[in-house]
Amino acid sequence: MQATTELEPTVRIRELTKDKVNFVLENVDLAFANSFRRVMMADLPTVAIDMVEIEVNTTVLPDEYIAHRLGMIPLLSSNCDEAIRYTRDCTCLAGCPFCSITLMLHVSCNDNNTMDVTSNHLEVLPFPEDQDIQADPGEELSKRGEYFGHPVGKNDPNAEPVLICKIRKGQELKVKCTVKKGIAKEHAKWSPCSAVAFEYDPYNKLRHTSYWYETDVRQEWPLGDNAKEEEAPRDDEPFDYLAKPTKFYLDVETDGSLSPQEVVMKGLAELQQKLANLIYGLKQGPELENQQQANGTGAEPSWNISSTAPAPAPIPPTSAWSGGASSQWGNTSPGQRSTSNAGWGASPQAGAWSSGATAGWSSPGQQSNGWNV
Amino acid sequence: MNAPNRYELYVLEDGEKPVEVIEDTKIPNAATIKILKQDHTLGNMLRAQLLAMPQILFAGYKVPHPLHPYFLIKIQTDGTITPQALLDQACEKLIGTLSSLEAKFKREFSYKDVEGAVGAASAAPGAGGPAGHLDVDPYGAGASAGGGAGGGQGAGAGGSGGWSQGRDYLDL
Repeated sequence: MQATTELEPTVRIRELTKDKVNFVLENVDLAFANSFRRVMMADLPTVAIDMVEIEVNTTVLPDEYIAHRLGMIPLLSSNCDEAIRYTRDCTCLAGCPFCSITLMLHVSCNDNNTMDVTSNHLEVLPFPEDQDIQADPGEELSKRGEYFGHPVGKNDPNAEPVLICKIRKGQELKVKCTVKKGIAKEHAKWSPCSAVAFEYDPYNKLRHTSYWYETDVRQEWPLGDNAKEEEAPRDDEPFDYLAKPTKFYLDVETDGSLSPQEVVMKGLAELQQKLANLIYGLKQGPELENQQQANGTGAEPSWNISSTAPAPAPIPPTSAWSGGASSQWGNTSPGQRSTSNAGWGASPQAGAWSSGATAGWSSPGQQSNGWNV
Repeated sequence: MNAPNRYELYVLEDGEKPVEVIEDTKIPNAATIKILKQDHTLGNMLRAQLLAMPQILFAGYKVPHPLHPYFLIKIQTDGTITPQALLDQACEKLIGTLSSLEAKFKREFSYKDVEGAVGAASAAPGAGGPAGHLDVDPYGAGASAGGGAGGGQGAGAGGSGGWSQGRDYLDL
Protein backbone atom coordinates (compact mmCIF):
# COMPACT_ATOMS: atom_id res chain seq x y z
CA MET A 1 0.00 0.00 0.00
CA GLN A 2 2.76 2.37 0.97
CA ALA A 3 4.54 1.78 -2.28
CA THR A 4 1.52 2.49 -4.42
CA THR A 5 0.73 5.75 -2.73
CA GLU A 6 4.29 7.03 -2.98
CA LEU A 7 4.30 6.72 -6.75
CA GLU A 8 2.55 9.33 -8.81
CA PRO A 9 -0.60 8.08 -10.49
CA THR A 10 -0.38 7.80 -14.24
CA VAL A 11 -2.92 7.45 -16.98
CA ARG A 12 -2.69 6.35 -20.59
CA ILE A 13 -5.60 6.74 -22.98
CA ARG A 14 -5.68 3.80 -25.34
CA GLU A 15 -8.68 4.76 -27.37
CA LEU A 16 -10.85 7.82 -27.64
CA THR A 17 -13.90 7.99 -29.85
CA LYS A 18 -17.08 10.02 -29.97
CA ASP A 19 -18.77 8.15 -27.16
CA LYS A 20 -16.08 6.04 -25.58
CA VAL A 21 -12.76 6.35 -23.84
CA ASN A 22 -10.51 3.47 -22.90
CA PHE A 23 -7.66 4.14 -20.51
CA VAL A 24 -5.22 2.50 -18.15
CA LEU A 25 -4.85 3.92 -14.68
CA GLU A 26 -1.70 3.08 -12.76
CA ASN A 27 -0.33 3.51 -9.25
CA VAL A 28 -3.60 4.17 -7.52
CA ASP A 29 -5.50 2.23 -4.88
CA LEU A 30 -8.23 -0.17 -5.78
CA ALA A 31 -10.56 1.90 -3.62
CA PHE A 32 -9.55 5.07 -5.42
CA ALA A 33 -10.11 3.60 -8.87
CA ASN A 34 -13.44 2.21 -7.78
CA SER A 35 -14.60 5.53 -6.36
CA PHE A 36 -13.66 7.15 -9.63
CA ARG A 37 -15.77 4.59 -11.47
CA ARG A 38 -18.71 5.06 -9.12
CA VAL A 39 -18.64 8.83 -9.35
CA MET A 40 -18.63 8.74 -13.16
CA MET A 41 -21.62 6.44 -13.17
CA ALA A 42 -23.78 7.96 -10.48
CA ASP A 43 -22.79 11.48 -9.47
CA LEU A 44 -22.62 13.56 -12.62
CA PRO A 45 -25.58 15.77 -13.46
CA THR A 46 -27.29 15.50 -16.81
CA VAL A 47 -30.75 16.42 -18.07
CA ALA A 48 -33.52 13.95 -18.82
CA ILE A 49 -37.26 13.99 -19.28
CA ASP A 50 -38.77 13.84 -15.82
CA MET A 51 -42.42 14.68 -16.25
CA VAL A 52 -44.73 13.84 -19.09
CA GLU A 53 -48.17 15.31 -19.72
CA ILE A 54 -50.05 13.09 -22.08
CA GLU A 55 -52.54 15.04 -24.16
CA VAL A 56 -53.44 12.39 -26.72
CA ASN A 57 -52.39 8.78 -26.69
CA THR A 58 -54.23 6.50 -29.06
CA THR A 59 -51.25 4.24 -29.58
CA VAL A 60 -51.10 0.66 -28.43
CA LEU A 61 -48.73 1.50 -25.59
CA PRO A 62 -50.11 2.68 -22.24
CA ASP A 63 -49.28 6.17 -20.98
CA GLU A 64 -46.86 5.11 -18.27
CA TYR A 65 -45.01 2.86 -20.68
CA ILE A 66 -44.44 5.79 -23.02
CA ALA A 67 -43.53 8.09 -20.14
CA HIS A 68 -40.88 5.64 -19.04
CA ARG A 69 -39.47 5.29 -22.53
CA LEU A 70 -39.31 9.06 -22.92
CA GLY A 71 -37.42 9.37 -19.66
CA MET A 72 -34.68 7.06 -20.85
CA ILE A 73 -33.89 9.08 -24.00
CA PRO A 74 -30.47 10.70 -23.65
CA LEU A 75 -30.48 14.47 -24.09
CA LEU A 76 -27.45 16.63 -24.79
CA SER A 77 -26.27 17.83 -21.39
CA SER A 78 -22.90 19.37 -22.05
CA ASN A 79 -21.88 21.80 -19.28
CA CYS A 80 -24.88 20.78 -17.20
CA ASP A 81 -23.26 22.08 -14.00
CA GLU A 82 -23.66 25.67 -15.07
CA ALA A 83 -26.29 25.56 -17.75
CA ILE A 84 -29.28 24.56 -15.65
CA ARG A 85 -30.37 24.50 -12.00
CA TYR A 86 -31.85 21.75 -9.96
CA THR A 87 -35.55 22.40 -9.54
CA ARG A 88 -35.14 22.02 -5.78
CA ASP A 89 -32.65 24.93 -5.78
CA CYS A 90 -34.72 27.16 -8.02
CA THR A 91 -36.81 30.03 -6.75
CA CYS A 92 -39.61 29.44 -9.21
CA LEU A 93 -42.87 27.82 -8.22
CA ALA A 94 -43.78 25.70 -11.20
CA GLY A 95 -40.90 25.43 -13.59
CA CYS A 96 -38.96 28.16 -15.32
CA PRO A 97 -36.38 28.34 -18.11
CA PHE A 98 -33.57 28.17 -15.55
CA CYS A 99 -34.54 24.80 -14.14
CA SER A 100 -36.50 23.09 -16.88
CA ILE A 101 -36.79 22.61 -20.60
CA THR A 102 -39.97 21.67 -22.41
CA LEU A 103 -40.07 19.13 -25.21
CA MET A 104 -43.14 18.57 -27.39
CA LEU A 105 -43.97 15.42 -29.28
CA HIS A 106 -46.92 15.39 -31.65
CA VAL A 107 -47.18 12.67 -34.25
CA SER A 108 -50.12 11.13 -36.01
CA CYS A 109 -50.21 8.54 -38.75
CA ASN A 110 -52.34 9.07 -41.82
CA ASP A 111 -51.16 6.48 -44.29
CA ASN A 112 -51.36 2.76 -44.49
CA ASN A 113 -47.82 2.01 -43.36
CA THR A 114 -46.70 1.52 -39.82
CA MET A 115 -44.95 4.64 -38.64
CA ASP A 116 -42.08 4.96 -36.17
CA VAL A 117 -42.29 7.61 -33.46
CA THR A 118 -38.70 8.39 -32.57
CA SER A 119 -36.64 10.80 -30.53
CA ASN A 120 -36.27 12.88 -33.69
CA HIS A 121 -39.90 13.92 -33.33
CA LEU A 122 -39.20 15.63 -30.01
CA GLU A 123 -39.08 19.38 -30.45
CA VAL A 124 -37.70 21.80 -27.91
CA LEU A 125 -40.39 24.30 -27.06
CA PRO A 126 -39.16 27.83 -26.41
CA PHE A 127 -40.35 29.02 -23.03
CA PRO A 128 -43.46 31.22 -23.32
CA GLU A 129 -42.53 34.88 -23.22
CA ASP A 130 -45.42 35.99 -21.06
CA GLN A 131 -44.17 33.88 -18.19
CA ASP A 132 -42.51 36.55 -16.12
CA ILE A 133 -38.89 35.76 -15.54
CA GLN A 134 -38.43 35.86 -11.80
CA ALA A 135 -36.51 38.52 -10.02
CA ASP A 136 -33.44 36.35 -9.77
CA PRO A 137 -32.38 35.73 -13.33
CA GLY A 138 -29.30 33.61 -13.59
CA GLU A 139 -26.71 33.36 -16.25
CA GLU A 140 -27.57 29.72 -16.88
CA LEU A 141 -29.08 30.35 -20.30
CA SER A 142 -25.90 31.92 -21.64
CA LYS A 143 -23.87 28.88 -20.61
CA ARG A 144 -25.87 26.52 -22.74
CA GLY A 145 -24.72 25.12 -26.02
CA GLU A 146 -26.94 25.63 -29.01
CA TYR A 147 -28.51 22.19 -28.74
CA PHE A 148 -28.65 21.81 -24.96
CA GLY A 149 -31.55 19.55 -24.03
CA HIS A 150 -32.06 18.17 -27.54
CA PRO A 151 -32.23 14.42 -27.98
CA VAL A 152 -28.85 12.93 -28.72
CA GLY A 153 -28.26 12.43 -32.43
CA LYS A 154 -31.25 14.48 -33.51
CA ASN A 155 -30.99 15.47 -37.16
CA ASP A 156 -27.70 13.65 -37.44
CA PRO A 157 -28.24 11.52 -40.54
CA ASN A 158 -25.64 9.02 -39.35
CA ALA A 159 -27.26 8.43 -35.99
CA GLU A 160 -30.14 6.04 -35.57
CA PRO A 161 -32.86 7.77 -33.50
CA VAL A 162 -34.37 6.20 -30.40
CA LEU A 163 -37.65 4.43 -31.16
CA ILE A 164 -40.41 5.48 -28.76
CA CYS A 165 -43.35 3.61 -30.24
CA LYS A 166 -44.89 2.44 -33.50
CA ILE A 167 -48.25 3.73 -34.70
CA ARG A 168 -50.65 2.78 -37.49
CA LYS A 169 -53.23 4.72 -39.45
CA GLY A 170 -55.48 6.82 -37.26
CA GLN A 171 -53.32 6.67 -34.16
CA GLU A 172 -51.84 9.73 -32.56
CA LEU A 173 -49.42 10.60 -29.82
CA LYS A 174 -49.22 14.09 -28.35
CA VAL A 175 -47.19 14.66 -25.20
CA LYS A 176 -45.51 17.53 -23.42
CA CYS A 177 -42.34 16.58 -21.61
CA THR A 178 -40.58 18.54 -18.90
CA VAL A 179 -36.84 18.06 -18.77
CA LYS A 180 -35.08 18.31 -15.42
CA LYS A 181 -31.55 18.15 -14.19
CA GLY A 182 -30.64 15.27 -11.93
CA ILE A 183 -28.07 12.64 -11.07
CA ALA A 184 -28.13 8.88 -11.48
CA LYS A 185 -28.38 8.30 -7.75
CA GLU A 186 -31.93 9.52 -8.08
CA HIS A 187 -32.72 7.62 -11.27
CA ALA A 188 -30.45 5.78 -13.68
CA LYS A 189 -31.82 7.77 -16.60
CA TRP A 190 -29.58 10.63 -15.50
CA SER A 191 -26.42 8.60 -15.83
CA PRO A 192 -24.16 9.85 -18.60
CA CYS A 193 -22.60 6.39 -18.86
CA SER A 194 -24.14 3.49 -20.66
CA ALA A 195 -21.37 1.16 -19.60
CA VAL A 196 -18.19 1.38 -17.59
CA ALA A 197 -15.80 -1.53 -17.83
CA PHE A 198 -13.40 -1.93 -14.92
CA GLU A 199 -10.75 -4.61 -14.79
CA TYR A 200 -7.56 -5.28 -12.91
CA ASP A 201 -5.24 -8.23 -12.55
CA PRO A 202 -6.22 -10.06 -15.76
CA TYR A 203 -4.19 -13.13 -14.76
CA ASN A 204 -5.85 -13.32 -11.34
CA LYS A 205 -2.45 -13.30 -9.67
CA LEU A 206 -3.99 -11.68 -6.60
CA ARG A 207 -6.67 -14.37 -6.39
CA HIS A 208 -9.41 -11.85 -5.80
CA THR A 209 -11.65 -14.30 -7.60
CA SER A 210 -11.77 -18.02 -8.13
CA TYR A 211 -12.84 -19.50 -11.41
CA TRP A 212 -15.36 -22.27 -11.65
CA TYR A 213 -14.41 -24.82 -14.28
CA GLU A 214 -15.19 -28.32 -15.46
CA THR A 215 -11.81 -29.74 -16.40
CA ASP A 216 -9.27 -27.11 -17.38
CA VAL A 217 -9.28 -23.52 -16.07
CA ARG A 218 -7.06 -22.10 -18.77
CA GLN A 219 -9.11 -23.48 -21.57
CA GLU A 220 -12.42 -22.51 -20.11
CA TRP A 221 -11.38 -18.99 -19.08
CA PRO A 222 -9.56 -17.43 -22.02
CA LEU A 223 -7.54 -14.31 -21.28
CA GLY A 224 -8.91 -10.93 -22.25
CA ASP A 225 -7.10 -8.23 -24.22
CA ASN A 226 -5.90 -6.53 -21.09
CA ALA A 227 -3.72 -9.53 -20.32
CA LYS A 228 -1.35 -8.35 -23.05
CA GLU A 229 -0.48 -5.41 -20.83
CA GLU A 230 0.86 -7.59 -18.06
CA GLU A 231 3.36 -10.36 -17.65
CA ALA A 232 1.96 -13.83 -17.31
CA PRO A 233 2.84 -15.48 -14.00
CA ARG A 234 5.24 -18.37 -14.10
CA ASP A 235 3.73 -21.69 -13.19
CA ASP A 236 5.97 -22.12 -10.16
CA GLU A 237 5.49 -18.56 -8.96
CA PRO A 238 4.52 -18.55 -5.29
CA PHE A 239 1.39 -16.62 -4.31
CA ASP A 240 2.24 -13.15 -3.08
CA TYR A 241 -0.47 -12.56 -0.53
CA LEU A 242 0.73 -9.02 0.17
CA ALA A 243 0.45 -7.86 -3.41
CA LYS A 244 -1.98 -5.05 -4.19
CA PRO A 245 -3.53 -4.20 -7.52
CA THR A 246 -1.95 -1.14 -9.11
CA LYS A 247 -3.03 -1.22 -12.73
CA PHE A 248 -6.64 -0.66 -13.73
CA TYR A 249 -8.23 -0.92 -17.14
CA LEU A 250 -11.28 1.24 -17.59
CA ASP A 251 -13.54 1.74 -20.53
CA VAL A 252 -16.11 4.49 -20.16
CA GLU A 253 -18.89 4.45 -22.70
CA THR A 254 -21.37 7.30 -22.64
CA ASP A 255 -24.90 7.49 -23.95
CA GLY A 256 -24.05 10.68 -25.82
CA SER A 257 -25.45 13.14 -23.30
CA LEU A 258 -21.91 14.08 -22.31
CA SER A 259 -18.68 13.46 -24.19
CA PRO A 260 -16.43 10.83 -22.62
CA GLN A 261 -13.85 13.45 -21.84
CA GLU A 262 -16.38 15.55 -20.03
CA VAL A 263 -17.45 12.52 -18.02
CA VAL A 264 -13.89 11.76 -16.94
CA MET A 265 -12.97 15.34 -16.10
CA LYS A 266 -16.24 16.05 -14.32
CA GLY A 267 -15.87 12.80 -12.44
CA LEU A 268 -12.51 13.85 -11.06
CA ALA A 269 -13.84 17.30 -10.23
CA GLU A 270 -16.86 15.84 -8.46
CA LEU A 271 -14.70 13.59 -6.29
CA GLN A 272 -12.57 16.58 -5.32
CA GLN A 273 -15.71 18.51 -4.53
CA LYS A 274 -16.91 15.75 -2.23
CA LEU A 275 -13.59 15.72 -0.38
CA ALA A 276 -13.52 19.51 -0.19
CA ASN A 277 -16.97 19.57 1.35
CA LEU A 278 -15.79 17.04 3.90
CA ILE A 279 -12.77 19.13 4.81
CA TYR A 280 -15.03 22.15 5.10
CA GLY A 281 -17.42 20.17 7.27
CA LEU A 282 -14.61 19.03 9.55
CA LYS A 283 -13.43 22.62 9.96
CA GLN A 284 -16.92 24.04 10.37
CA GLY A 285 -18.23 21.53 12.87
CA PRO A 286 -16.63 22.87 16.05
CA GLU A 287 -16.99 26.51 15.01
CA LEU A 288 -20.69 26.15 14.42
CA GLU A 289 -21.17 24.62 17.82
CA ASN A 290 -19.35 27.48 19.49
CA GLN A 291 -21.46 29.97 17.63
CA GLN A 292 -24.58 28.14 18.69
CA GLN A 293 -23.59 28.22 22.33
CA ALA A 294 -22.76 31.90 22.14
CA ASN A 295 -26.21 32.57 20.80
CA GLY A 296 -27.70 30.50 23.57
CA THR A 297 -29.54 28.29 21.17
CA GLY A 298 -28.78 25.18 23.15
CA ALA A 299 -27.62 21.84 22.02
CA GLU A 300 -30.56 21.02 19.83
CA PRO A 301 -31.31 24.08 17.79
CA SER A 302 -34.35 24.06 15.62
CA TRP A 303 -32.54 24.71 12.43
CA ASN A 304 -35.39 25.49 10.18
CA ILE A 305 -37.03 28.27 12.07
CA SER A 306 -34.22 29.67 14.16
CA SER A 307 -32.97 32.94 12.83
CA THR A 308 -29.51 32.05 14.02
CA ALA A 309 -29.36 29.13 11.66
CA PRO A 310 -26.44 29.74 9.41
CA ALA A 311 -27.07 30.64 5.82
CA PRO A 312 -30.81 30.25 5.46
CA ALA A 313 -30.64 30.29 1.72
CA PRO A 314 -33.55 31.99 0.02
CA ILE A 315 -35.13 28.74 -0.95
CA PRO A 316 -38.89 28.78 -1.01
CA PRO A 317 -40.90 25.96 0.51
CA THR A 318 -39.68 23.20 -1.68
CA SER A 319 -42.52 20.95 -0.69
CA ALA A 320 -44.95 22.94 -2.73
CA TRP A 321 -43.19 21.79 -5.79
CA SER A 322 -40.96 18.91 -5.31
CA GLY A 323 -43.29 16.82 -3.24
CA GLY A 324 -46.03 15.45 -5.42
CA ALA A 325 -44.58 16.58 -8.64
CA SER A 326 -47.10 15.03 -10.91
CA SER A 327 -50.11 16.24 -9.02
CA GLN A 328 -48.89 19.82 -9.15
CA TRP A 329 -48.78 19.63 -12.85
CA GLY A 330 -51.93 17.73 -13.19
CA ASN A 331 -53.79 20.53 -11.44
CA THR A 332 -52.55 23.14 -13.80
CA SER A 333 -53.90 21.27 -16.75
CA PRO A 334 -57.20 19.69 -15.87
CA GLY A 335 -58.50 17.22 -18.33
CA GLN A 336 -55.03 16.09 -19.25
CA ARG A 337 -53.56 13.00 -17.87
CA SER A 338 -50.16 13.56 -16.47
CA THR A 339 -47.75 10.91 -15.55
CA SER A 340 -44.62 11.44 -13.62
CA ASN A 341 -42.15 8.88 -14.67
CA ALA A 342 -39.83 9.64 -11.83
CA GLY A 343 -40.78 6.54 -10.00
CA TRP A 344 -40.36 4.16 -12.82
CA GLY A 345 -37.87 1.49 -13.27
CA ALA A 346 -35.77 1.93 -10.19
CA SER A 347 -35.77 0.90 -6.62
CA PRO A 348 -36.96 3.64 -4.31
CA GLN A 349 -33.50 4.57 -3.23
CA ALA A 350 -30.11 4.79 -4.79
CA GLY A 351 -30.16 1.05 -4.49
CA ALA A 352 -27.89 -0.25 -7.12
CA TRP A 353 -25.15 2.15 -6.31
CA SER A 354 -25.14 2.49 -2.62
CA SER A 355 -27.06 -0.25 -0.98
CA GLY A 356 -25.45 -2.47 1.54
CA ALA A 357 -25.95 -5.37 -0.76
CA THR A 358 -23.28 -4.00 -3.00
CA ALA A 359 -20.84 -3.66 -0.17
CA GLY A 360 -19.04 -6.69 -1.40
CA TRP A 361 -18.45 -5.02 -4.73
CA SER A 362 -17.22 -1.77 -3.62
CA SER A 363 -15.22 -2.72 -0.59
CA PRO A 364 -13.01 -5.59 -1.44
CA GLY A 365 -11.37 -5.48 1.95
CA GLN A 366 -12.23 -8.03 4.57
CA GLN A 367 -15.02 -7.29 6.99
CA SER A 368 -14.82 -7.52 10.69
CA ASN A 369 -17.77 -6.85 12.91
CA GLY A 370 -19.49 -5.11 10.08
CA TRP A 371 -16.61 -2.70 9.53
CA ASN A 372 -14.87 -2.69 6.21
CA VAL A 373 -11.28 -2.59 7.25
CA MET B 1 -47.40 9.01 -1.43
CA ASN B 2 -45.32 9.57 1.67
CA ALA B 3 -42.10 8.51 0.04
CA PRO B 4 -39.29 10.89 0.88
CA ASN B 5 -37.78 12.88 -1.95
CA ARG B 6 -35.07 10.91 -3.64
CA TYR B 7 -32.61 13.75 -3.49
CA GLU B 8 -32.66 13.50 0.29
CA LEU B 9 -30.24 10.64 -0.23
CA TYR B 10 -27.48 12.96 -1.33
CA VAL B 11 -28.43 16.56 -0.50
CA LEU B 12 -27.96 17.95 2.99
CA GLU B 13 -31.10 19.36 4.49
CA ASP B 14 -31.26 22.98 5.56
CA GLY B 15 -28.77 23.52 8.34
CA GLU B 16 -27.81 19.88 8.52
CA LYS B 17 -24.18 19.39 9.43
CA PRO B 18 -22.23 17.26 6.98
CA VAL B 19 -19.90 15.82 9.59
CA GLU B 20 -20.37 14.70 13.16
CA VAL B 21 -17.45 13.61 15.32
CA ILE B 22 -18.16 11.15 18.11
CA GLU B 23 -15.07 10.75 20.21
CA ASP B 24 -14.46 7.33 21.66
CA THR B 25 -14.60 7.25 25.46
CA LYS B 26 -12.93 3.89 25.90
CA ILE B 27 -10.20 3.81 23.27
CA PRO B 28 -7.46 6.44 23.28
CA ASN B 29 -6.98 8.59 20.18
CA ALA B 30 -10.02 7.15 18.53
CA ALA B 31 -13.15 8.66 17.09
CA THR B 32 -16.09 7.64 15.00
CA ILE B 33 -16.96 10.20 12.41
CA LYS B 34 -20.41 10.25 10.91
CA ILE B 35 -20.52 11.64 7.42
CA LEU B 36 -23.98 12.46 6.17
CA LYS B 37 -25.35 12.12 2.67
CA GLN B 38 -22.32 10.24 1.43
CA ASP B 39 -21.81 6.59 0.60
CA HIS B 40 -19.21 3.97 -0.27
CA THR B 41 -17.75 6.25 -2.92
CA LEU B 42 -16.24 8.46 -0.27
CA GLY B 43 -16.13 5.97 2.59
CA ASN B 44 -14.06 3.29 0.94
CA MET B 45 -11.68 5.77 -0.66
CA LEU B 46 -11.04 7.50 2.67
CA ARG B 47 -10.62 4.22 4.49
CA ALA B 48 -7.98 3.08 2.00
CA GLN B 49 -6.15 6.40 2.17
CA LEU B 50 -6.17 6.39 5.99
CA LEU B 51 -4.75 2.88 6.10
CA ALA B 52 -1.89 4.05 3.92
CA MET B 53 -0.89 6.76 6.41
CA PRO B 54 1.85 6.06 8.93
CA GLN B 55 0.04 7.46 12.01
CA ILE B 56 -2.93 5.13 11.69
CA LEU B 57 -3.71 2.23 14.00
CA PHE B 58 -7.19 1.46 12.78
CA ALA B 59 -9.48 2.71 10.06
CA GLY B 60 -12.75 1.18 9.00
CA TYR B 61 -16.03 2.38 7.63
CA LYS B 62 -19.55 1.09 7.45
CA VAL B 63 -22.89 2.07 6.03
CA PRO B 64 -25.09 0.88 8.89
CA HIS B 65 -28.22 0.63 6.80
CA PRO B 66 -28.62 0.94 3.04
CA LEU B 67 -31.66 3.16 3.42
CA HIS B 68 -29.93 5.61 5.74
CA PRO B 69 -27.79 7.93 3.68
CA TYR B 70 -24.71 8.23 5.84
CA PHE B 71 -21.63 6.28 6.75
CA LEU B 72 -19.48 5.97 9.86
CA ILE B 73 -15.73 5.96 9.69
CA LYS B 74 -13.82 4.81 12.74
CA ILE B 75 -10.29 6.03 13.14
CA GLN B 76 -7.66 5.29 15.75
CA THR B 77 -4.31 7.02 15.55
CA ASP B 78 -1.00 6.48 17.32
CA GLY B 79 -1.49 9.64 19.38
CA THR B 80 0.68 12.02 17.40
CA ILE B 81 -2.37 13.46 15.72
CA THR B 82 -6.12 13.56 16.37
CA PRO B 83 -8.37 11.37 14.24
CA GLN B 84 -10.09 14.45 12.82
CA ALA B 85 -6.81 15.99 11.76
CA LEU B 86 -5.73 12.74 10.18
CA LEU B 87 -8.96 12.50 8.25
CA ASP B 88 -8.40 16.05 7.10
CA GLN B 89 -4.90 15.10 5.93
CA ALA B 90 -6.25 12.07 4.11
CA CYS B 91 -8.72 14.29 2.26
CA GLU B 92 -6.00 16.73 1.31
CA LYS B 93 -3.85 13.92 0.04
CA LEU B 94 -6.63 12.46 -2.04
CA ILE B 95 -7.38 15.87 -3.50
CA GLY B 96 -3.71 16.14 -4.41
CA THR B 97 -3.80 12.76 -6.13
CA LEU B 98 -6.97 13.68 -7.95
CA SER B 99 -5.69 16.99 -9.20
CA SER B 100 -2.46 15.47 -10.44
CA LEU B 101 -4.51 12.82 -12.20
CA GLU B 102 -6.70 15.56 -13.61
CA ALA B 103 -3.67 17.29 -15.10
CA LYS B 104 -2.52 14.04 -16.64
CA PHE B 105 -5.91 13.35 -18.11
CA LYS B 106 -6.00 16.83 -19.59
CA ARG B 107 -2.67 16.26 -21.25
CA GLU B 108 -3.69 12.86 -22.57
CA PHE B 109 -6.94 14.22 -23.94
CA SER B 110 -5.20 17.12 -25.63
CA TYR B 111 -2.82 14.70 -27.38
CA LYS B 112 -5.75 12.71 -28.62
CA ASP B 113 -7.48 15.86 -29.79
CA VAL B 114 -4.52 17.00 -31.80
CA GLU B 115 -4.14 13.62 -33.38
CA GLY B 116 -7.67 14.14 -34.63
CA ALA B 117 -8.59 10.71 -33.43
CA VAL B 118 -11.70 12.14 -31.92
CA GLY B 119 -13.39 14.65 -34.09
CA ALA B 120 -16.02 13.52 -31.71
CA ALA B 121 -16.42 15.69 -28.70
CA SER B 122 -16.33 18.84 -30.75
CA ALA B 123 -18.27 17.59 -33.74
CA ALA B 124 -21.19 16.30 -31.73
CA PRO B 125 -24.08 18.67 -32.16
CA GLY B 126 -24.80 20.49 -29.00
CA ALA B 127 -21.40 20.12 -27.47
CA GLY B 128 -21.53 23.85 -27.77
CA GLY B 129 -18.78 24.51 -25.29
CA PRO B 130 -15.84 22.53 -26.51
CA ALA B 131 -16.45 23.11 -30.18
CA GLY B 132 -13.63 23.94 -32.52
CA HIS B 133 -10.54 24.26 -30.45
CA LEU B 134 -8.21 21.97 -32.27
CA ASP B 135 -5.62 24.65 -32.82
CA VAL B 136 -5.22 25.66 -29.20
CA ASP B 137 -4.56 23.95 -25.94
CA PRO B 138 -8.09 22.79 -25.32
CA TYR B 139 -7.88 23.23 -21.60
CA GLY B 140 -6.41 26.66 -21.44
CA ALA B 141 -2.91 27.37 -20.30
CA GLY B 142 -3.85 28.29 -16.77
CA ALA B 143 -5.50 25.09 -15.73
CA SER B 144 -3.17 22.66 -14.08
CA ALA B 145 -2.71 20.50 -11.07
CA GLY B 146 -2.14 23.53 -8.89
CA GLY B 147 -5.82 24.31 -8.69
CA GLY B 148 -6.52 21.49 -6.31
CA ALA B 149 -4.82 21.64 -2.99
CA GLY B 150 -4.56 25.40 -2.84
CA GLY B 151 -8.24 26.14 -3.00
CA GLY B 152 -8.91 23.72 -0.19
CA GLN B 153 -10.29 25.87 2.54
CA GLY B 154 -11.89 28.35 0.23
CA ALA B 155 -14.51 26.16 -1.26
CA GLY B 156 -17.68 26.63 0.71
CA ALA B 157 -20.13 23.92 1.53
CA GLY B 158 -22.48 24.92 -1.21
CA GLY B 159 -19.71 26.14 -3.45
CA SER B 160 -20.47 24.96 -6.91
CA GLY B 161 -17.10 26.04 -8.22
CA GLY B 162 -14.86 23.21 -9.27
CA TRP B 163 -11.41 22.76 -7.96
CA SER B 164 -9.34 23.61 -10.90
CA GLN B 165 -8.94 27.29 -11.08
CA GLY B 166 -8.31 29.21 -14.22
CA ARG B 167 -9.77 28.34 -17.52
CA ASP B 168 -11.66 25.19 -17.93
CA TYR B 169 -11.85 23.06 -21.00
CA LEU B 170 -15.42 24.16 -21.38
CA ASP B 171 -14.77 27.86 -21.33
CA LEU B 172 -13.55 28.02 -24.88
